[in-house]
Formats: sequence, structure tokens, C-alpha cells
Amino acid sequence: MLGGIMHFERNRKNPTRIYSEIDEDECVECSVCLRSGCCPTEALYQPELVWPRIVRKNFSDPLRIHPETRIPGRGTEEMKTNEVTGRYRRGTYGMAFELGRPGVGARFHDVERVARALATLDVVFEENNPVTKLMVDRKKGLINPEVLNEKVLSAIVEFLLPAEKLPQVLEMVDHVSQEINTVFSGDIISRIGVDGSVPYVDEILKRNRYLSINGKSNVGLGRPLAEV
Amino acid sequence: MTHTLHRRGNRESLNEDYIVFTMSAKGFNEEGSAKKMKEFFEILLKHHPINCGDMVTGNRYVKSQEEITQNIQNTSIIHGVFSDAKQVVQMLKDLTEADLGMSIVVTGIHDETEKCCQKSGILKHTVEHSLGIFGQLKKLPSDEVLQLTTMCGHGMVPGNLVERIIIEIKRGEKNFREGALELTRPCHCGIYNPVRAEHLLKRLVPLMTLDA
Repeated sequence: MLGGIMHFERNRKNPTRIYSEIDEDECVECSVCLRSGCCPTEALYQPELVWPRIVRKNFSDPLRIHPETRIPGRGTEEMKTNEVTGRYRRGTYGMAFELGRPGVGARFHDVERVARALATLDVVFEENNPVTKLMVDRKKGLINPEVLNEKVLSAIVEFLLPAEKLPQVLEMVDHVSQEINTVFSGDIISRIGVDGSVPYVDEILKRNRYLSINGKSNVGLGRPLAEV
Repeated sequence: MTHTLHRRGNRESLNEDYIVFTMSAKGFNEEGSAKKMKEFFEILLKHHPINCGDMVTGNRYVKSQEEITQNIQNTSIIHGVFSDAKQVVQMLKDLTEADLGMSIVVTGIHDETEKCCQKSGILKHTVEHSLGIFGQLKKLPSDEVLQLTTMCGHGMVPGNLVERIIIEIKRGEKNFREGALELTRPCHCGIYNPVRAEHLLKRLVPLMTLDA
């Protein structure tokens, strides 16, 4: 409702009355309408969700803890715990393409299109990520066909790559972004260099590409420390 | 989960937008982390964040401080939002002294957070930048609206709600502060910045016209 997936219908028995109806095919089960209390007649309720529709809720409702990774939200720790997990080591970048963000939503067939394109570059999809868990063939980036038409608020294709492959990935992402029916937000992660620099900055800027002035920094206070 | 990344805006606006948060590393230091995250939350509150919350429970504009504290779990992610980098420096100093052994992430303008780290005597370990938005950009609202919606990384603040708030302010049904707080509430984690939202609304509302 808050996301604009509601339309008006006329009551057939009493045509003087109109009511709101949620388009269930577009609804991503984020539950923000329920939590907001926006319905004046308290007509909103959460129907029971079964496979494969339950995937919508797992990916769209930030209160939902992903059963595979035990992490709420989009279900991945990525760089937030890197000093402990050692997920991103020097010489390796982490990248993520969050399909559907900001605010548009995505169906898994678009998620798969991006994953398949990246798979041709032999990237390594992150093991502890809920999209990777839905893949039936990680070498090819194929996602379980049962969920392909499910729509979610966003889903992150997350992977690791050797630093020297960055130009190929950027070129690929420009290409595949024109083949999908939604938007996605991209990001890049690196362990700070031994000289204190961020290794990918020059590579991105020399290509005249957008790189945000803001972002996240893990300040290394977690323990035990991983060797990275 | 990149929920505090991809916040859009110019330097002036983003310079009043900082987040400090913590979470456990599953399979590494998760056990017993709820107690440490409660300590983190106590330290956070001492520095008077303009918003805070736990992903498991909700933000301070929806849940009470007591509820948030009592419900902190090993799977929690605790966040605090600040509008001044000086508060981040003090927070990082306290966290270093507390030595909780939990991962701490600071979100903000990178060169400003670098200064915060230097003043706190710590070194950044790993960083993340946004590469922007790709694909069917015609599906997006205006960049002014995106600056307000992207402060909730889980997409709980839709462009439609921003438009409704703008209309209500224009009609005199809400003031800027009330509008900002209404945008803040749906962002469950407590990472939405109501101070920045109020400033953005003050800039945006006069620019918008109503056609009905």
C-alpha cells in the first residue's frame, strides 16, 4: 500500500462503496503496511505464506531472519565483520549488485540474468548469501526455477573477484543492466591497503565512473582477528 | 545487507549523516554477543544519537528504549545515527576503551570518517563504496525524493510516502519536523536520519507544486 501497489475496486453488492485492494502479484510481502497501521478499518492481515511465495518475505521484510544465514535484512554480513571472518583479503575485491534497490523491486529472473552474466567471468559467489543459497548451479549462476517469478524488494548478488578482473566486471555490468526490467545498486569492498589507501579508487575514477563520497568503514575492533 | 550504504546527497547534506553500528560474526563471535551489544547500546545512548534501534526490535520512534534493550539478541544489529562527526569521534573513543570485541562499522563521508578514526586512534580495516544505480533508471523517482528514501536501506520509506508528506506539509497539516518523523518511523532498524530529513524537506517542499 505504501509502495503504491494498491488500487481501488467498487463493491459489487453495494456500488456506492469502494475499497482498496492489494495487487498480490506486485506485493513483495515486506509488511511495512501492517506495521504502519495505515489501514483505517484494520482490514490488512498477513496471509499464510508457503513456498515459493515465502521467498518474498524472507528477502523483503527486514524483520525476517534468513533461515540459511541467520542474518536479518538482506541476509549477508559482507564487510561488516571482515576483520573477524576474513571474507575479503588483500588482492581480492568484494562486489555486490542489489537488484531492485532503491525501492523498485525485482523478480528473480532478473536476478538470475545478472548472476549468469557474472558467472561467465568465473567470479566466486559468496557462500553466506541468501541469493547464492537459491542457486542450483553456481558455476552458471542458475537460480532455482521455482522462484524465478517471485518478486522481492531487493536481492543481493554478492561475489568475490581478483582485483585485476574489476574492469571486466564493470564492462559486463554495463551490458547486463540494459537487459533487465528493474534497477540495481552496485557496491565494491576492499581491505585497506598496507599504505592506508583504498586499492580500487584509482581504477574506478580513471574510467570516469561514479564512486560515492560516502560509504561504510569497518574500523577493525572485532575479535578474534582473522589473518587478512 | 548493505543497509547504510547508497545514501544519496551532496557533501553539505551528507555531512550531517553518520551511523555507527555493531553486529556479531556468525560462527565466530556470535555466542554471548547479546551482552556485548547491550554494552554497545549503553555507550551509544550516552552520546545522544538522533535515532537508534535494533534490527530485531525496531527504532526508538516506534519502540521504547527499554524494549529495545531487553530484546537485544545474538542476532541483533544495533545502530545509532549522529548529525555531527564530533559525536562519532567520542563514540569511537569510548568503544575502543570498552574493547567489546565486536565489529564496529561507521557510515558517512569517507574522508570525514577517516578523520574520526584518526582522532580516535584507530585504523580503518575494510571499506565499501557505492558504485551508483544501474538499469531502468526511468523507474526511479526524482533525485530529491531519492535522497529521502535511500536513508532507509531496506526500502521501507517509499517515494509515495514522501510525496504524501510533502502534500500534507503544503496543506499545513504537518510541520517539517512532524513530516520528518513520519518518514523516520517505517525504517525499522533506526538508521533513518530525522534531522537531515527535516532539512531536505525544507528545501524540497517549496520546489514542489500540487496539481490537485
